[in-house]
Amino acid sequence: MGVMRIGHINLRVLDMVAARKHYEEILGLMPAAEDDKGNVYLKGWDEWDKYSIMLSASDRAGMNHVAYKVESDGDLDELKSRIIEYGLDVEMVPPGTLPFCGRALRFWMPSGHLMYLYAEKEFVGKAVGVNNPDPWPDGLKGAGVHWLDHCLLICELDPPSGINKVADNTRFFTEVLGFRLTEQIMAGPDHTVQAAAFLARTTTPHDIAFVGGPTLGLHHCSFFLDEWADVLKAADVLGKNKVKIDVTPQRHGITRGATSYFFDPSGNRNETFAGLGYLSQPDMPVITWTEEEIGSAIFFHTGELNPAFTTVYTEGV
Amino acid sequence: MTTETTATGDYRVHLIDTGESYSCPANRTLLNAMVALGRQGIPSGCHGGGCGVCKVYILQGEVTTLAMSRAHVSKEEEAIGYALACRTYPISDVVLKVVGRMRKSVVYRYGFI
Repeated sequence: MGVMRIGHINLRVLDMVAARKHYEEILGLMPAAEDDKGNVYLKGWDEWDKYSIMLSASDRAGMNHVAYKVESDGDLDELKSRIIEYGLDVEMVPPGTLPFCGRALRFWMPSGHLMYLYAEKEFVGKAVGVNNPDPWPDGLKGAGVHWLDHCLLICELDPPSGINKVADNTRFFTEVLGFRLTEQIMAGPDHTVQAAAFLARTTTPHDIAFVGGPTLGLHHCSFFLDEWADVLKAADVLGKNKVKIDVTPQRHGITRGATSYFFDPSGNRNETFAGLGYLSQPDMPVITWTEEEIGSAIFFHTGELNPAFTTVYTEGV
Repeated sequence: MTTETTATGDYRVHLIDTGESYSCPANRTLLNAMVALGRQGIPSGCHGGGCGVCKVYILQGEVTTLAMSRAHVSKEEEAIGYALACRTYPISDVVLKVVGRMRKSVVYRYGFI
Protein backbone atom coordinates (compact mmCIF):
# COMPACT_ATOMS: atom_id res chain seq x y z
CA MET A 1 0.00 0.00 0.00
CA GLY A 2 0.94 3.64 -0.13
CA VAL A 3 2.80 5.50 -2.84
CA MET A 4 3.69 3.37 -5.87
CA ARG A 5 5.54 5.55 -8.34
CA ILE A 6 5.80 8.89 -10.12
CA GLY A 7 2.55 9.41 -12.04
CA HIS A 8 3.11 12.57 -14.00
CA ILE A 9 4.73 15.96 -14.05
CA ASN A 10 3.06 19.13 -15.28
CA LEU A 11 5.62 21.20 -17.18
CA ARG A 12 5.22 24.81 -18.29
CA VAL A 13 6.41 25.52 -21.82
CA LEU A 14 6.94 28.79 -23.67
CA ASP A 15 6.08 27.45 -27.15
CA MET A 16 3.67 24.52 -27.36
CA VAL A 17 4.49 23.70 -30.99
CA ALA A 18 8.19 23.43 -30.22
CA ALA A 19 7.47 21.51 -27.00
CA ARG A 20 5.29 18.96 -28.79
CA LYS A 21 7.96 18.41 -31.43
CA HIS A 22 10.53 17.83 -28.66
CA TYR A 23 8.52 15.47 -26.49
CA GLU A 24 6.71 13.61 -29.30
CA GLU A 25 9.14 13.52 -32.24
CA ILE A 26 12.49 13.60 -30.41
CA LEU A 27 11.79 11.80 -27.12
CA GLY A 28 9.13 9.64 -28.71
CA LEU A 29 6.29 10.12 -26.22
CA MET A 30 2.85 9.39 -27.61
CA PRO A 31 0.02 11.93 -27.71
CA ALA A 32 -2.78 10.93 -25.33
CA ALA A 33 -5.10 13.92 -25.16
CA GLU A 34 -5.45 17.67 -25.51
CA ASP A 35 -7.97 19.59 -23.42
CA ASP A 36 -9.97 22.75 -24.14
CA LYS A 37 -7.40 24.83 -22.26
CA GLY A 38 -4.70 23.70 -24.68
CA ASN A 39 -2.93 21.39 -22.21
CA VAL A 40 -1.29 18.45 -23.97
CA TYR A 41 -1.03 14.99 -22.38
CA LEU A 42 1.63 12.47 -23.42
CA LYS A 43 2.63 8.95 -22.42
CA GLY A 44 5.57 6.64 -22.94
CA TRP A 45 4.92 3.52 -25.03
CA ASP A 46 5.65 1.24 -22.05
CA GLU A 47 3.29 3.07 -19.68
CA TRP A 48 -0.30 1.98 -19.21
CA ASP A 49 -1.95 5.00 -17.59
CA LYS A 50 -3.21 7.78 -19.83
CA TYR A 51 -0.34 10.23 -19.41
CA SER A 52 2.89 10.94 -17.57
CA ILE A 53 3.67 14.34 -19.08
CA MET A 54 1.23 17.24 -19.02
CA LEU A 55 2.39 20.28 -21.00
CA SER A 56 0.86 23.67 -20.20
CA ALA A 57 1.56 26.79 -22.27
CA SER A 58 2.89 29.62 -20.12
CA ASP A 59 5.13 32.66 -20.25
CA ARG A 60 7.34 31.09 -17.54
CA ALA A 61 9.26 27.84 -17.88
CA GLY A 62 9.36 25.27 -15.08
CA MET A 63 6.92 22.95 -13.38
CA ASN A 64 3.44 23.43 -11.94
CA HIS A 65 3.24 20.20 -9.98
CA VAL A 66 4.35 16.62 -9.73
CA ALA A 67 1.93 13.78 -8.98
CA TYR A 68 2.57 10.29 -7.57
CA LYS A 69 0.21 7.36 -7.80
CA VAL A 70 -0.82 5.41 -4.69
CA GLU A 71 -1.94 1.82 -4.71
CA SER A 72 -5.55 2.12 -3.58
CA ASP A 73 -8.12 4.82 -3.00
CA GLY A 74 -8.18 4.16 0.75
CA ASP A 75 -4.47 5.01 0.92
CA LEU A 76 -5.42 8.62 0.24
CA ASP A 77 -7.41 8.84 3.50
CA GLU A 78 -4.59 7.23 5.45
CA LEU A 79 -1.97 9.51 3.90
CA LYS A 80 -4.15 12.57 4.43
CA SER A 81 -4.27 11.83 8.17
CA ARG A 82 -0.53 11.32 8.32
CA ILE A 83 0.18 14.56 6.43
CA ILE A 84 -2.12 16.52 8.78
CA GLU A 85 -0.50 14.87 11.79
CA TYR A 86 2.90 15.93 10.45
CA GLY A 87 1.62 19.50 10.37
CA LEU A 88 1.31 20.26 6.68
CA ASP A 89 -1.78 21.69 4.98
CA VAL A 90 -3.46 19.18 2.70
CA GLU A 91 -6.66 19.21 0.70
CA MET A 92 -8.62 16.34 -0.86
CA VAL A 93 -9.65 17.60 -4.31
CA PRO A 94 -12.53 15.98 -6.22
CA PRO A 95 -12.16 13.66 -9.22
CA GLY A 96 -11.18 15.50 -12.40
CA THR A 97 -9.27 18.25 -10.61
CA LEU A 98 -6.21 16.37 -11.78
CA PRO A 99 -7.20 15.71 -15.40
CA PHE A 100 -8.30 12.12 -16.12
CA CYS A 101 -7.69 11.21 -12.46
CA GLY A 102 -9.82 10.33 -9.46
CA ARG A 103 -9.83 12.29 -6.21
CA ALA A 104 -6.43 13.49 -5.14
CA LEU A 105 -4.49 14.90 -2.21
CA ARG A 106 -3.00 18.30 -2.89
CA PHE A 107 -0.25 19.75 -0.72
CA TRP A 108 3.02 21.63 -0.77
CA MET A 109 6.17 19.75 0.13
CA PRO A 110 8.26 21.35 2.89
CA SER A 111 10.43 22.70 0.04
CA GLY A 112 7.48 24.56 -1.48
CA HIS A 113 6.94 22.30 -4.51
CA LEU A 114 3.29 21.42 -5.26
CA MET A 115 2.52 17.70 -5.09
CA TYR A 116 -0.54 15.55 -5.70
CA LEU A 117 -1.24 11.97 -4.74
CA TYR A 118 -3.93 10.06 -6.62
CA ALA A 119 -5.08 6.45 -6.85
CA GLU A 120 -6.87 6.34 -10.18
CA LYS A 121 -6.02 7.57 -13.65
CA GLU A 122 -7.72 6.68 -16.91
CA PHE A 123 -6.28 3.44 -18.31
CA VAL A 124 -4.95 3.26 -21.85
CA GLY A 125 -2.58 0.30 -21.92
CA LYS A 126 0.93 -0.28 -23.20
CA ALA A 127 1.54 0.17 -26.92
CA VAL A 128 2.40 -3.54 -27.18
CA GLY A 129 -0.67 -4.70 -25.27
CA VAL A 130 -0.76 -7.58 -22.81
CA ASN A 131 -1.50 -10.62 -24.98
CA ASN A 132 1.67 -12.23 -26.34
CA PRO A 133 3.28 -8.78 -26.62
CA ASP A 134 6.21 -7.80 -28.83
CA PRO A 135 9.23 -6.46 -26.89
CA TRP A 136 8.71 -3.02 -28.41
CA PRO A 137 6.18 -1.45 -30.76
CA ASP A 138 6.75 -0.48 -34.40
CA GLY A 139 6.71 3.16 -35.38
CA LEU A 140 8.46 4.56 -32.30
CA LYS A 141 9.80 8.06 -32.88
CA GLY A 142 13.15 9.52 -31.86
CA ALA A 143 14.59 8.16 -28.62
CA GLY A 144 11.49 6.05 -27.96
CA VAL A 145 11.61 6.54 -24.19
CA HIS A 146 9.78 3.92 -22.12
CA TRP A 147 8.43 5.91 -19.20
CA LEU A 148 8.82 8.90 -16.92
CA ASP A 149 11.25 7.58 -14.33
CA HIS A 150 11.79 10.27 -11.68
CA CYS A 151 12.27 13.96 -11.08
CA LEU A 152 14.93 15.95 -9.28
CA LEU A 153 13.82 19.06 -7.43
CA ILE A 154 16.06 21.90 -6.29
CA CYS A 155 15.37 22.74 -2.65
CA GLU A 156 16.53 25.81 -0.80
CA LEU A 157 19.77 25.23 1.11
CA ASP A 158 21.44 27.89 3.24
CA PRO A 159 22.96 26.27 6.35
CA PRO A 160 24.22 29.51 7.95
CA SER A 161 20.59 30.67 8.04
CA GLY A 162 19.44 27.28 9.32
CA ILE A 163 17.67 26.46 6.05
CA ASN A 164 17.92 22.95 4.63
CA LYS A 165 14.85 22.05 2.61
CA VAL A 166 16.64 18.94 1.29
CA ALA A 167 16.67 17.54 4.81
CA ASP A 168 13.14 18.83 5.48
CA ASN A 169 11.77 17.08 2.38
CA THR A 170 13.71 13.91 3.13
CA ARG A 171 12.22 13.72 6.61
CA PHE A 172 8.68 14.29 5.30
CA PHE A 173 9.03 11.78 2.47
CA THR A 174 10.51 9.07 4.69
CA GLU A 175 8.39 9.57 7.81
CA VAL A 176 5.05 10.36 6.17
CA LEU A 177 5.04 9.09 2.59
CA GLY A 178 7.05 5.93 3.26
CA PHE A 179 9.95 6.62 0.91
CA ARG A 180 13.37 5.08 1.64
CA LEU A 181 16.57 7.09 1.53
CA THR A 182 18.93 5.25 -0.84
CA GLU A 183 21.79 7.72 -1.33
CA GLN A 184 22.82 11.13 -0.04
CA ILE A 185 25.54 13.73 -0.39
CA MET A 186 26.88 15.06 2.89
CA ALA A 187 28.74 18.36 2.75
CA GLY A 188 29.98 21.12 4.99
CA PRO A 189 31.88 20.88 8.28
CA ASP A 190 32.17 17.23 9.41
CA HIS A 191 29.83 16.24 6.59
CA THR A 192 26.82 17.32 8.60
CA VAL A 193 24.89 19.09 5.83
CA GLN A 194 22.60 16.87 3.76
CA ALA A 195 23.10 18.61 0.41
CA ALA A 196 21.32 16.02 -1.74
CA ALA A 197 19.03 13.05 -1.12
CA PHE A 198 17.76 10.24 -3.38
CA LEU A 199 14.61 8.40 -2.33
CA ALA A 200 12.71 5.38 -3.58
CA ARG A 201 9.36 3.65 -3.23
CA THR A 202 9.99 1.17 -6.04
CA THR A 203 13.01 -1.12 -6.24
CA THR A 204 14.93 1.43 -8.33
CA PRO A 205 17.62 3.70 -6.86
CA HIS A 206 15.33 6.73 -6.87
CA ASP A 207 11.77 7.77 -7.60
CA ILE A 208 12.45 11.36 -6.52
CA ALA A 209 15.55 13.32 -5.60
CA PHE A 210 16.25 16.60 -3.81
CA VAL A 211 19.31 18.74 -4.27
CA GLY A 212 20.25 21.94 -2.46
CA GLY A 213 20.32 25.27 -4.25
CA PRO A 214 19.75 28.98 -3.69
CA THR A 215 16.05 28.89 -4.69
CA LEU A 216 13.50 26.14 -5.23
CA GLY A 217 13.33 24.85 -8.77
CA LEU A 218 12.98 22.00 -11.20
CA HIS A 219 16.35 20.46 -12.00
CA HIS A 220 15.13 17.74 -14.34
CA CYS A 221 12.63 15.06 -15.14
CA SER A 222 14.01 11.77 -16.37
CA PHE A 223 12.89 9.20 -18.92
CA PHE A 224 13.81 5.53 -18.83
CA LEU A 225 15.68 3.67 -21.56
CA ASP A 226 16.84 0.06 -21.48
CA GLU A 227 20.60 0.29 -21.76
CA TRP A 228 23.75 2.27 -22.58
CA ALA A 229 23.32 1.80 -26.32
CA ASP A 230 19.88 3.39 -26.10
CA VAL A 231 21.29 6.41 -24.26
CA LEU A 232 23.98 6.79 -26.94
CA LYS A 233 21.42 6.52 -29.71
CA ALA A 234 19.17 9.01 -27.92
CA ALA A 235 22.11 11.45 -27.88
CA ASP A 236 22.46 10.94 -31.65
CA VAL A 237 18.80 11.85 -32.01
CA LEU A 238 19.37 14.97 -29.90
CA GLY A 239 22.39 15.96 -32.00
CA LYS A 240 20.52 15.45 -35.24
CA ASN A 241 17.79 17.71 -33.96
CA LYS A 242 20.14 20.37 -32.52
CA VAL A 243 18.76 19.88 -29.02
CA LYS A 244 20.91 21.64 -26.42
CA ILE A 245 22.77 18.87 -24.61
CA ASP A 246 23.94 19.66 -21.09
CA VAL A 247 25.86 16.44 -20.40
CA THR A 248 26.77 13.88 -23.06
CA PRO A 249 26.28 10.21 -22.19
CA GLN A 250 28.21 9.03 -19.16
CA ARG A 251 27.73 7.32 -15.80
CA HIS A 252 26.52 8.69 -12.50
CA GLY A 253 28.36 7.55 -9.37
CA ILE A 254 25.08 8.04 -7.51
CA THR A 255 22.55 5.42 -8.70
CA ARG A 256 25.16 4.00 -11.16
CA GLY A 257 22.81 5.11 -13.91
CA ALA A 258 23.86 5.64 -17.52
CA THR A 259 22.75 9.16 -18.26
CA SER A 260 22.55 12.06 -20.65
CA TYR A 261 21.10 15.50 -19.90
CA PHE A 262 19.56 18.01 -22.28
CA PHE A 263 17.01 20.79 -22.37
CA ASP A 264 13.53 21.02 -23.86
CA PRO A 265 12.85 24.07 -26.07
CA SER A 266 11.72 26.06 -23.00
CA GLY A 267 14.85 25.27 -21.02
CA ASN A 268 13.39 22.58 -18.77
CA ARG A 269 16.09 19.94 -18.25
CA ASN A 270 15.40 16.34 -19.29
CA GLU A 271 17.43 13.20 -18.71
CA THR A 272 17.53 9.87 -20.45
CA PHE A 273 18.44 7.26 -17.85
CA ALA A 274 19.29 3.62 -18.51
CA GLY A 275 19.90 0.62 -16.33
CA LEU A 276 18.29 0.26 -12.95
CA GLY A 277 21.68 0.61 -11.25
CA TYR A 278 20.95 -1.78 -8.43
CA LEU A 279 18.07 -3.34 -6.55
CA SER A 280 16.88 -0.98 -3.88
CA GLN A 281 15.34 -2.81 -0.94
CA PRO A 282 14.01 -1.65 2.45
CA ASP A 283 17.03 -3.13 4.27
CA MET A 284 19.65 -1.77 1.87
CA PRO A 285 22.12 0.44 3.75
CA VAL A 286 22.11 4.11 2.77
CA ILE A 287 24.97 5.06 0.45
CA THR A 288 26.76 8.28 1.41
CA TRP A 289 28.92 10.45 -0.82
CA THR A 290 31.08 13.08 0.81
CA GLU A 291 31.86 16.53 -0.46
CA GLU A 292 35.44 15.68 -1.51
CA GLU A 293 34.12 13.12 -4.01
CA ILE A 294 31.16 15.14 -5.18
CA GLY A 295 32.43 15.31 -8.76
CA SER A 296 32.61 11.52 -8.99
CA ALA A 297 29.24 11.19 -7.28
CA ILE A 298 27.60 13.14 -10.05
CA PHE A 299 29.80 12.38 -13.07
CA PHE A 300 31.78 9.27 -12.36
CA HIS A 301 34.08 9.33 -15.41
CA THR A 302 35.41 12.86 -15.26
CA GLY A 303 34.96 13.36 -11.54
CA GLU A 304 34.33 17.02 -12.31
CA LEU A 305 31.21 19.08 -11.82
CA ASN A 306 29.87 20.99 -14.78
CA PRO A 307 28.91 24.47 -13.50
CA ALA A 308 25.84 24.64 -15.76
CA PHE A 309 24.62 21.28 -14.47
CA THR A 310 24.59 22.41 -10.88
CA THR A 311 23.41 25.99 -11.31
CA VAL A 312 21.06 26.06 -14.31
CA TYR A 313 17.42 25.13 -13.75
CA THR A 314 13.86 26.34 -14.25
CA GLU A 315 11.18 27.39 -11.76
CA GLY A 316 9.76 24.83 -9.32
CA VAL A 317 6.39 26.44 -8.68
CA MET B 1 7.38 36.57 -32.37
CA THR B 2 9.82 35.27 -34.95
CA THR B 3 10.09 31.52 -35.22
CA GLU B 4 12.17 31.27 -38.40
CA THR B 5 15.05 33.50 -39.34
CA THR B 6 16.69 33.38 -42.72
CA ALA B 7 20.43 33.80 -43.06
CA THR B 8 21.16 37.14 -44.66
CA GLY B 9 24.73 37.60 -43.49
CA ASP B 10 26.88 37.71 -40.39
CA TYR B 11 26.88 40.43 -37.77
CA ARG B 12 29.45 41.39 -35.15
CA VAL B 13 28.55 40.99 -31.51
CA HIS B 14 30.59 43.10 -29.08
CA LEU B 15 30.69 42.39 -25.36
CA ILE B 16 31.55 45.59 -23.53
CA ASP B 17 32.37 43.64 -20.37
CA THR B 18 35.42 41.98 -21.89
CA GLY B 19 35.97 43.96 -25.07
CA GLU B 20 35.58 40.71 -27.02
CA SER B 21 33.66 40.36 -30.22
CA TYR B 22 32.55 37.50 -32.42
CA SER B 23 30.63 36.86 -35.58
CA CYS B 24 26.98 35.80 -35.45
CA PRO B 25 24.97 34.68 -38.47
CA ALA B 26 21.43 36.04 -38.71
CA ASN B 27 19.99 32.54 -38.31
CA ARG B 28 21.82 31.79 -35.05
CA THR B 29 21.15 33.14 -31.61
CA LEU B 30 23.75 35.36 -29.96
CA LEU B 31 24.50 32.57 -27.47
CA ASN B 32 24.57 29.69 -29.92
CA ALA B 33 27.00 31.51 -32.22
CA MET B 34 29.29 32.25 -29.28
CA VAL B 35 29.47 28.68 -27.97
CA ALA B 36 29.73 27.22 -31.48
CA LEU B 37 32.95 29.25 -31.89
CA GLY B 38 34.23 28.06 -28.52
CA ARG B 39 34.07 31.61 -27.21
CA GLN B 40 33.08 32.71 -23.73
CA GLY B 41 31.65 35.78 -22.07
CA ILE B 42 27.92 35.17 -21.87
CA PRO B 43 27.00 32.38 -19.38
CA SER B 44 25.65 29.38 -21.28
CA GLY B 45 22.71 27.53 -19.74
CA CYS B 46 19.56 25.93 -21.05
CA HIS B 47 19.45 27.60 -24.50
CA GLY B 48 15.66 27.60 -24.25
CA GLY B 49 14.79 30.89 -22.56
CA GLY B 50 14.02 29.16 -19.28
CA CYS B 51 16.95 29.50 -16.89
CA GLY B 52 17.96 33.14 -17.33
CA VAL B 53 21.74 32.83 -16.95
CA CYS B 54 22.42 34.35 -20.40
CA LYS B 55 20.57 37.60 -19.73
CA VAL B 56 22.06 40.55 -21.62
CA TYR B 57 21.33 44.22 -22.11
CA ILE B 58 21.41 45.35 -25.73
CA LEU B 59 23.14 48.75 -25.81
CA GLN B 60 23.28 49.15 -29.57
CA GLY B 61 21.87 47.32 -32.55
CA GLU B 62 18.64 45.65 -33.62
CA VAL B 63 17.54 42.14 -32.66
CA THR B 64 14.52 39.86 -32.80
CA THR B 65 13.65 37.52 -29.98
CA LEU B 66 11.70 34.32 -29.33
CA ALA B 67 9.62 33.78 -26.18
CA MET B 68 11.60 34.19 -22.96
CA SER B 69 10.51 33.13 -19.48
CA ARG B 70 8.97 36.10 -17.68
CA ALA B 71 10.65 34.77 -14.58
CA HIS B 72 13.84 36.29 -15.99
CA VAL B 73 12.88 39.09 -18.42
CA SER B 74 9.76 41.12 -17.65
CA LYS B 75 7.80 42.93 -20.35
CA GLU B 76 9.14 46.21 -19.01
CA GLU B 77 12.73 44.98 -19.17
CA GLU B 78 12.25 43.58 -22.65
CA ALA B 79 10.91 46.96 -23.84
CA ILE B 80 14.12 48.74 -22.79
CA GLY B 81 16.56 46.22 -24.24
CA TYR B 82 17.00 43.31 -21.85
CA ALA B 83 16.92 39.87 -23.46
CA LEU B 84 18.14 36.31 -23.09
CA ALA B 85 21.01 35.74 -25.54
CA CYS B 86 19.77 32.22 -26.30
CA ARG B 87 16.50 33.63 -27.67
CA THR B 88 17.98 36.60 -29.54
CA TYR B 89 18.84 36.84 -33.25
CA PRO B 90 20.80 39.82 -34.58
CA ILE B 91 19.52 41.90 -37.47
CA SER B 92 22.44 44.33 -37.26
CA ASP B 93 25.77 44.52 -35.45
CA VAL B 94 25.13 44.39 -31.71
CA VAL B 95 26.83 45.85 -28.64
CA LEU B 96 25.72 44.25 -25.39
CA LYS B 97 26.44 44.06 -21.68
CA VAL B 98 26.26 40.73 -19.84
CA VAL B 99 23.73 40.84 -17.00
CA GLY B 100 23.09 37.16 -16.18
CA ARG B 101 25.35 34.92 -14.21
CA MET B 102 25.58 31.35 -13.05
CA ARG B 103 23.76 31.11 -9.77
CA LYS B 104 26.85 30.34 -7.74
CA SER B 105 25.19 30.79 -4.44
CA VAL B 106 26.21 31.59 -0.92
CA VAL B 107 26.11 27.88 -0.19
CA TYR B 108 28.62 26.86 -2.84
CA ARG B 109 30.97 25.96 -0.04
CA TYR B 110 28.50 23.28 0.93
CA GLY B 111 29.53 21.23 -1.99
CA PHE B 112 26.86 20.61 -4.45
CA ILE B 113 25.59 23.99 -5.51
